[in-house]
Amino acid sequence: MDPFAVLGLDDTADDAAVRAAYLRALQTSPPDRDPEGFQRIRAAYEALRDAESRMDLRLFGPAPLADLTELLEAFPEERRYVGPTPWLNLLREPRR
Amino acid sequence: MSQPRKHQRRGKSARPVAVARPEDWPARIQTLLANGKSRDAVEAAKQYLKHAPGPEAEALALQAYLARISALQGNGLHREAQAIGALVNERFPAHKAQVALLMQQSDVATGQFDSLLTALVTAEGQQRRALEAILSRGLTDPALLAAAPALPPEHPLKQTAQTVSELFAAVTSGPLPPGALAALDAIPRSSPLAPWKLLIRGFEAFYRRADETALANLKAIPADTAPGRLAQVLRRLLGATDLPAGPAGAAAALLSQVSGVRPLLETHLAQLSQALMDRNERRAMSAVQALLPLLQTASRALRSTFIISVLHHWYRQNLSPQPLLRLLPSTKRDPDILRLLALTLERPIWDEALEFWYSYVREATATGLLPRTGPERARVLLHMASIFPPEAETVFDLLAVDSEQELRQAIRVGDLPMYFDRGALLEQALAADPSSNVFRALVDHYEKWGDPKRAEAEAETWRRAHPQELEPLLHLIRVTERRGAVRKALNYLADAEAIDRVHPAVRQSRFRLLLAGAERRLKEHKAALARDDLRQLAQEPRANEGDHQVYLLALALLAAQQQGDTTATEHYIPLLQQAAANPVLQQLTLESISTTLKLPPPAAAPGKPSAAQILDGVARACDLFRALERPLTLSPALQKHVEQHLKSASAAQLHALCTGALWLQRPALAYHAAGQGLRLHDPLAYRFLLARGRALGMSYDFNVAERARACLRAARELASRMRDMDAVREASEALATIPHWDMFNAMLHGGPAALEEPPLTQEDITQLMAREGQSRSTPHFPAAPGNRKRRQPSQRRRPRRLLDDLFSMLPLEEFF
Repeated sequence: MDPFAVLGLDDTADDAAVRAAYLRALQTSPPDRDPEGFQRIRAAYEALRDAESRMDLRLFGPAPLADLTELLEAFPEERRYVGPTPWLNLLREPRR
Repeated sequence: MSQPRKHQRRGKSARPVAVARPEDWPARIQTLLANGKSRDAVEAAKQYLKHAPGPEAEALALQAYLARISALQGNGLHREAQAIGALVNERFPAHKAQVALLMQQSDVATGQFDSLLTALVTAEGQQRRALEAILSRGLTDPALLAAAPALPPEHPLKQTAQTVSELFAAVTSGPLPPGALAALDAIPRSSPLAPWKLLIRGFEAFYRRADETALANLKAIPADTAPGRLAQVLRRLLGATDLPAGPAGAAAALLSQVSGVRPLLETHLAQLSQALMDRNERRAMSAVQALLPLLQTASRALRSTFIISVLHHWYRQNLSPQPLLRLLPSTKRDPDILRLLALTLERPIWDEALEFWYSYVREATATGLLPRTGPERARVLLHMASIFPPEAETVFDLLAVDSEQELRQAIRVGDLPMYFDRGALLEQALAADPSSNVFRALVDHYEKWGDPKRAEAEAETWRRAHPQELEPLLHLIRVTERRGAVRKALNYLADAEAIDRVHPAVRQSRFRLLLAGAERRLKEHKAALARDDLRQLAQEPRANEGDHQVYLLALALLAAQQQGDTTATEHYIPLLQQAAANPVLQQLTLESISTTLKLPPPAAAPGKPSAAQILDGVARACDLFRALERPLTLSPALQKHVEQHLKSASAAQLHALCTGALWLQRPALAYHAAGQGLRLHDPLAYRFLLARGRALGMSYDFNVAERARACLRAARELASRMRDMDAVREASEALATIPHWDMFNAMLHGGPAALEEPPLTQEDITQLMAREGQSRSTPHFPAAPGNRKRRQPSQRRRPRRLLDDLFSMLPLEEFF
């Protein structure tokens, strides 16, 4: 969705940085083992590969999503460690 | 007991107990207890004890109080339970032991273990199990048990509690090393700490994403224990659906602490999608309001995606934009929001989109986001120019002016904003970046907007700026040729050939120019020179393409006739007959050239051609004259004849007739040929749909515009599937010239227009093709297309200053 985020770049990245990030990303998602991940990486690379593409993205992007819930893709499911206190506090709260 | 009530009910209020006879009280109290209404039971028991004191009333009161204490404990209200317990001890001292046993659970829950643990150290059998059950239900933190002074340090329960407490802290704080939970194996199922063992294993599996193992452990925890309450929260995080309604308070906060914003986003995005689908503006606004803070920490790109997507769907659903714009985190000075609004609006409402783009350029330049010069600025300005309707007439009609000059005058005097001057936008783009892209757009603009002199001048500047490029030269060749400056055109051709002699476009220009030269000499009655040119033309590679030979031989024959060279005339006649192999094509070619060059008309062809010859001849003539960009003279009688015999035409002939007729501006012929083509079920049916749509678009009938749109949309859809991008472009351009009445209706009624028409399904397209194939009626087409006068707008429409209107009512400081 955000090609800079997909390739782990900031929006000042130049051609060389984009290519290097693309090659790095390919190592974690090669097309034979992770076709979906590869598609995402390839699309991000195409959107950023040269200065003109990056300018177009900056001026005329992003495209609207057909389905708003696609936004969730940018928020992977998290399981954060919060320590014991919040859990034990919950037991001190009266039940409703 | 007669004191005023200290605890007033919340929620369901207690109804006053109204039982007339004392003998009815016991049954009434028992019923309330059986229904779990312990508070009402206590009230009733108090009344009964007051009116009929005695052992039976006392026993019932005690029973009601004990039930009330249990209920409070069940809800985790241990302090309240303890308060009532103390009151009961005071009022009914004889039943202290009974109350004390019950109060132990509240004591444990509030960290007062001493009496229970003291008893537990020496208890045996059933008493021990009862005490352990109380401890198991009431223990809310194993660390309290581990620190309890009533247990000696070496007591196994104390040591186990210490282990459990440490493991609980560890499992909720970070990943555990392998084997870290081995110590839990020693805890028996009967231990009061067994639920904690299961909970810790559940946590470990949850963070390891072994969800099935986690769920199996959590489900085994008794629900009435403290770990049972935490298990519910963990199960909710694992997506369990068999839980009570949404969590609240600390549980909700804990859920978002552990799982981040995703669950909340998921809920609100689903609500927003549903609200938009239902066109429920209030619910959609409330969802957007909930989502904006959640996205505050997201990347700028993600926020932009969210905003443009919401705007897009908002407009698609024809919801009023003002309330949404008030919610957006922006002022009229935020370039990014202005840009997103412009992008959203530019398809349905180009003039308002231009206003937003113009504001974007102003604000982005002021903030340094957009450079004052260079390709980026030129790109925006080119884009602004590209969102104007393709036909200048449409723009002039909308802005109530008659020409570009008048438009510029209206801008000068302040009647119109400057961004409506498309030429000026392109000139600014050229100043920012004099690249070929910008030159191309500028030349094309002046060409299409009726200023060919300016177009030629800009092409000349382009040629000087980029001397090694063919494109400006090809353009200059074409325009100079068109205005009859063949010598100048030939000079440009020489420059082009110096750059790339074999380029197909250069070769085509050369052929066309040589042809124009020969025609001019013939027109000037210089037949000998014309024949020299024709001999040279015959050596060109393009001379043998298609039916080009027919055209060249016809010219040679006419030149020989003009010279009075009977030998040559008799030489060319059979050659022409052989090349054309069709008397109609031969005759049409001779007639058309004679008419264009003002030569004496050729002799009528002997005999009557067959219907097949007529179809073939006209189709090939259409292709030939269109390729050479030469006028074809097609008599109305011949056109009528072709229209009547289309049934026997092949798909290729029909296709040639469609494109040729549109080029000749004969929409009726294109309409009928396309209709016949649609009946053939040809794989290139989309080409017939395209021709049908374009022909319908040229009709005067008001009610066929939607038919034209449907044909063109279907053609575009099918062409896109066949990857025929030329046809896709042609259909899009044609669509842009046909009014979309639904959109106009929406504008007339004050609402925003639908951003997009719903996509066509295959079924829609099949039905449309069948309908158009069967339709025999001919719409009303203009007799002499191209001479139509532009309608004069009855009332001047001034572009709405939407941006100012929208923001004028906003307190700007409230938004970032």
